[in-house]
Amino acid sequence: MGKLPFEGIHVLDFTWYAVGPVTTKYLADYGADVVRIESAARLDGLRLAPPWKDAQPGVDRSQFFASFNTSKRGITLDMSKPEAREIFLRMLPWADLVTESFTPKTLRNWGLDYERLRAIKPDLIMLSTCMQGQTGPHRDYPGFGNLMAALSGFYHISGYSKDEPCPPYGAFTDFIAPRFSACALIAALDYRRRTGKGQYIDMSQYEAALHNLAPMLVDYFATGRVLGPEGNKSSRYAPHGAYRCADEDGHERWISIAVGADSEWSALTKVLRIDDSAGRFATMRARMRDRDALDETIGAAVRGRSAEELTEALQRAGVAAYPVQNCMDLHRDENLEAFGFWRWLDHKEMGPSPYEGLEHRMSRTPGDLRRPAPALGQHNDEVFREILGMKDDEIERLRRDKVIY
Amino acid sequence: MRSELLKGLRMLDLSDEKGALCGKIFADMGAEVIKVEPPCGCSSRNIPPFLEDQPGLDRGLGFLAWNAGKKSITLNLDCEDGRQLLRMLAEHADFLVDSFPLGYLQSLGIGYEALAALNPGLIHATVTAFGDRGPGKDYKAADINGWAAGGAMFLMGEEGKPPIQMSVPQAWLHAAAEAAVAAMIAYYARAADGLGQHIVVDMQACVAWTLMNEQAMPLLHGNYLRRSGVFSGAVGGRRKTVYRCADGFISFIIAGGPYLGSTNAVIAWMKEEGAAPDWLTREGGLKSLTPTSFMAATAADLEELERTEEAVQKFFLGKTKKELWANILKRRLFGAPVADAADIAEDPQLKARGYFVTVEHRGLNRALTLPGAFAKLSETPVGPQGPAPQLGEHNGEIYGALLGLSAREIVELRAVGAI
Repeated sequence: MGKLPFEGIHVLDFTWYAVGPVTTKYLADYGADVVRIESAARLDGLRLAPPWKDAQPGVDRSQFFASFNTSKRGITLDMSKPEAREIFLRMLPWADLVTESFTPKTLRNWGLDYERLRAIKPDLIMLSTCMQGQTGPHRDYPGFGNLMAALSGFYHISGYSKDEPCPPYGAFTDFIAPRFSACALIAALDYRRRTGKGQYIDMSQYEAALHNLAPMLVDYFATGRVLGPEGNKSSRYAPHGAYRCADEDGHERWISIAVGADSEWSALTKVLRIDDSAGRFATMRARMRDRDALDETIGAAVRGRSAEELTEALQRAGVAAYPVQNCMDLHRDENLEAFGFWRWLDHKEMGPSPYEGLEHRMSRTPGDLRRPAPALGQHNDEVFREILGMKDDEIERLRRDKVIY
Repeated sequence: MRSELLKGLRMLDLSDEKGALCGKIFADMGAEVIKVEPPCGCSSRNIPPFLEDQPGLDRGLGFLAWNAGKKSITLNLDCEDGRQLLRMLAEHADFLVDSFPLGYLQSLGIGYEALAALNPGLIHATVTAFGDRGPGKDYKAADINGWAAGGAMFLMGEEGKPPIQMSVPQAWLHAAAEAAVAAMIAYYARAADGLGQHIVVDMQACVAWTLMNEQAMPLLHGNYLRRSGVFSGAVGGRRKTVYRCADGFISFIIAGGPYLGSTNAVIAWMKEEGAAPDWLTREGGLKSLTPTSFMAATAADLEELERTEEAVQKFFLGKTKKELWANILKRRLFGAPVADAADIAEDPQLKARGYFVTVEHRGLNRALTLPGAFAKLSETPVGPQGPAPQLGEHNGEIYGALLGLSAREIVELRAVGAI
């Protein structure tokens, strides 16, 4: 493989949980030397979160942590200790980027805000990403992406009716914000390359996530309309939803179907053997008007049939369809397989482990999971020797004093 | 004022709604993003819902939101004159993004290889549903099919009811934003040798990536998660994540681990107001919440957690969203209102940060308010650079000033249906 785009870029990475680590993973998988600074005194919560190797917990057994931290090196410094902060400052000139995702007061309390760091490293680029940004009355709000999904409107537009929200799975906004922050970081690196100027990036995960709901907000500001949950109802497709097919080995199976043009409806009736010769649902208006009856008709037609076979037949006929896949199905999916999405890497403690690969592929400088995630403090000796020229006895002393910890 | 961050870079946006957010992110960062539309307009202009429910090429809410700050030209790819214009444009472009069916541009002689021969520095990103190699590479997909294929849909909804999606579909947005990151990476790579490349983005993979690593659960724990309505499906027990309050809903979680401090703090608040049940106020309080309890939870632990949830639900019913939010902030609880568009529009935090931005849309003759900067950059501020363009609004500027075509040539191209 040729030179990767970010080879030679050095990152000191304080981020934890999801948004920060997923952001710096883009850099790491494309060649940057990303050094995660962690501490056993304040563990990254993902290290404790399942799934675990052999379903047994342990700080070096979480695949959740591992998946978000490929291609990085890991060191440990207990930053609550002054000597650890001094060591960090000695490493700073080595770094092009410093990234962190604590609540805003954390770095201030350590005396490590951007102004201080910039005095040492004038062209530094620094990314701070937190729930609601570094300024404003709610800046110190701590939380996870699931709560942010509620606060930023995703819960409210999720559900079968207004009676009760039925939220999207997990910390949904954690998977929106990293793409925005990665774009900003890479662009800032390029800006520095052109101008010599570093800068500070204040990323509010809330403000990034709202871009995925922009039409709802444009609408509200213009007309005062408040969008609510609408189940699978669409103003563009009918039918549009998930329909129960035959169970397989005791597992429920559903198929997703979306029909736009009338010609697709006609094709669908042939595949599903629906008799619409009377033309009850022949036009989009008719299908929209009588959505419930339409859904019942589709539901009755697919019941007891194979979601896979129907998908193939519908797609052959030009109708958008796909099985509603569970997490087991994802591992048998031929399209993900062909894209090379699943990767097995040999982790120091966990052994061969399943990682997700990249969600895109490049023709000339393809990124890769260059190595599995670091075990806690796995690269302490190597990094402290290499960057600071530390001698073994100093490293040993710092370990004894729980500075390297 | 155009953001300095990517000023001077140019993107041709040939995508419809599937890739629109990619160009939007680039436009927000200061790139010149030219939406290349067929003479009748990009199909994404006709996607409902519309402003005031009145259809119109400039009234689609998604179109207005995700094309803000772009320019628009019309160009007919179905005729050779039009394709010739695209080749000329490609010579002046840094990026091209498309979401056509695979092979469509190649079949017209304007695929990546052909354009790269003219401009080796071109970075071309193609947003696909299911990649470019598997049996489904030519499959059609609406957003809901990507949501289903990637595993997010199966996990959303109530047991026994159909899996669901959100009222603002999300799958293509993830793919389009991924295209933006990949294009930025390729751009950074280009500085070394001046060469661009082709990028293929896989929507299904982008959706699968949002699952918090539940994807690995079947392999490591031998089981897979089922959807469970408002309950979180964490290992060791179902925790309620949405509570009713006096005027809506609030997201809150009673649990140990990282939620322990917050759980104890809400119980303390209930005690203050005399609203905690006797068994919770007795010495020792909640017994089940050790920091690692969510794995080791016994039946007794879970019963205690459920009883606590019931008590908290009763307490929250007497509070408004606003009161709860104020206390969440004051007491540092892990919770958040289930906010709707009105709550977000009025949020004092967003106001304090000057988040929302108003742009004047000349075609509609009205101002529109958009989400603002996705991040605050100290040297090179980013954010919406203007309204969504009207169809062909920039034909004169792009064909005249950029490509150097004379007024007569433009009239000719119009006459033959190329523009």
